[in-house]
Amino acid sequence: MKKIFSPFGRINRQTFMILGVVQALVALVLWHFASNGLIPRPLKVADAFIKLITSKNLLDNVLVSFVLTIKAMAISIIITLFFSYLSVIPFFKNIALFLVKCRYLTLTGLIFIFTLLTQDGSQLKLSLLIFGIVPFFVTSFLAVIVTTDNQQFEICKTLGYSNWETLYEVIIVGKADQVLEIIRQNFAITWLMITLVEGLSMSEGGVGTMLIKFNKYNDLTNVLALQLVIFVIGLFFDFILGNLKYWLFPYTKLQIQR
Amino acid sequence: MTAYTKAETLLKVEDISLSYGEKKILRDVNFEIRNITRPDVRQGQVISLIGRSGIGKTQLFKILAGLKEPTSGKVSLDNGNAIKAGDMGVVFQNYYLFEWRTVYKSLELAAKKNPELKDSGIKTAINRYAEDFNLTEHLSKYPQQLSGGQRQRASIIQQLLNGSEFILLDEPFSGLDVLVLDKVKELLLKISLTDERKTLIIVSHDIVTTVAVSDTVFVLGLEGNKPGATIKKEIDLCERGLAWQKDIHKEPAFIKTIEEIKSYL
Repeated sequence: MKKIFSPFGRINRQTFMILGVVQALVALVLWHFASNGLIPRPLKVADAFIKLITSKNLLDNVLVSFVLTIKAMAISIIITLFFSYLSVIPFFKNIALFLVKCRYLTLTGLIFIFTLLTQDGSQLKLSLLIFGIVPFFVTSFLAVIVTTDNQQFEICKTLGYSNWETLYEVIIVGKADQVLEIIRQNFAITWLMITLVEGLSMSEGGVGTMLIKFNKYNDLTNVLALQLVIFVIGLFFDFILGNLKYWLFPYTKLQIQR
Repeated sequence: MTAYTKAETLLKVEDISLSYGEKKILRDVNFEIRNITRPDVRQGQVISLIGRSGIGKTQLFKILAGLKEPTSGKVSLDNGNAIKAGDMGVVFQNYYLFEWRTVYKSLELAAKKNPELKDSGIKTAINRYAEDFNLTEHLSKYPQQLSGGQRQRASIIQQLLNGSEFILLDEPFSGLDVLVLDKVKELLLKISLTDERKTLIIVSHDIVTTVAVSDTVFVLGLEGNKPGATIKKEIDLCERGLAWQKDIHKEPAFIKTIEEIKSYL
């Protein structure tokens, strides 16, 4: 018991699981008793959650959001890798650094410009998502490049590698596992933003559209149930991407085990 | 005394100086490494560069490896060309390997840079070195799965496969226990026997172990109040009959030489 509250205390996996279940139960009990008439109780949300996940409507909307997310992620990764890899070339360094600073631009102020630049709602959502994701992707990946151990470059030089060969070996191949880790971490940002951009063009549907509709009619029970769905899908992809990393790059698992 | 002759110059270090701003790290470093030949023995050279911690050994190591430009001076090979990165094999103190490659793949990448090894020869060469250095069963492993000694051997093979005549080793005896130390000494001897012109340059502050495996010692230190380290003394261990002997550290002449080296530090 003492270990649970001591800094750096080590507990076994079973205790950790039990602790998690107890904490979740306490949170649910507190939620149950703290709920007044406006905030729906956990059981009511659970009921709505089951109804929601068994409806075809949810599946269709999740698929719409999922396809949009994957498209945005794929294009963002290509843009990120292009500028990040080339950031080691002086000509491209400024562009990469500018992309990093774009984190401070708010999307809301740029929606009208993007509307003018794109042809339809679908393109608008996609371009806004990409614009929102890329600065975070580039920031994370440049941090990885900057913190590369100098000895990695030196070993390449001593083996007679050219600068391009060094770039390929140390940055492109050597950091591939970290690209996947960045994708995993930033998937959360994309998933968070999807609800925002889907509200701008509701004709195609999506979980963001569903959320806005539920909110519009103050259907708080379904809002919370849908939030739960979004949360679970997020956790699922986090799990998939995490395991994909270990499968594609088995040495990353060894680093954890050491 | 074992018969030997000193033939052509293999490496020449001329007037090397290195400064960071006002701070002089190295001053007028001059020495040359010559090919030592012995009748009926195919043996390379083992040179040690000894100095106290923080004296500038690592900086000189990087200059010799072609990884750092000196403020002035030149390091040249026997063909007169200035040394550049890739001319020397380098084994860093922490036995660095590509963590994302298996040992075999790392060795293969190094071997591909060796013009003397054709595609079919690469596999043979890797397997031969792996067998010689007891690494065959570890070829499919990642560096994280290797012990310190195995990493060191893999790192050395990587540089041997690269084909350079010179191998620079940064503190190869650092942090090793007594038993492993003997194995590493044997390993270095084995490498020096691979080719007549193979030259090992060991940069170390471990005087006894390093001198015991060397044929020439260069002592790096400060001279009086002059700023920057320089070569204070060159000791020809062959001339003193202290080279190429297994239990040399028990010899009184060896102990005397160690004391002499200490006095220059």
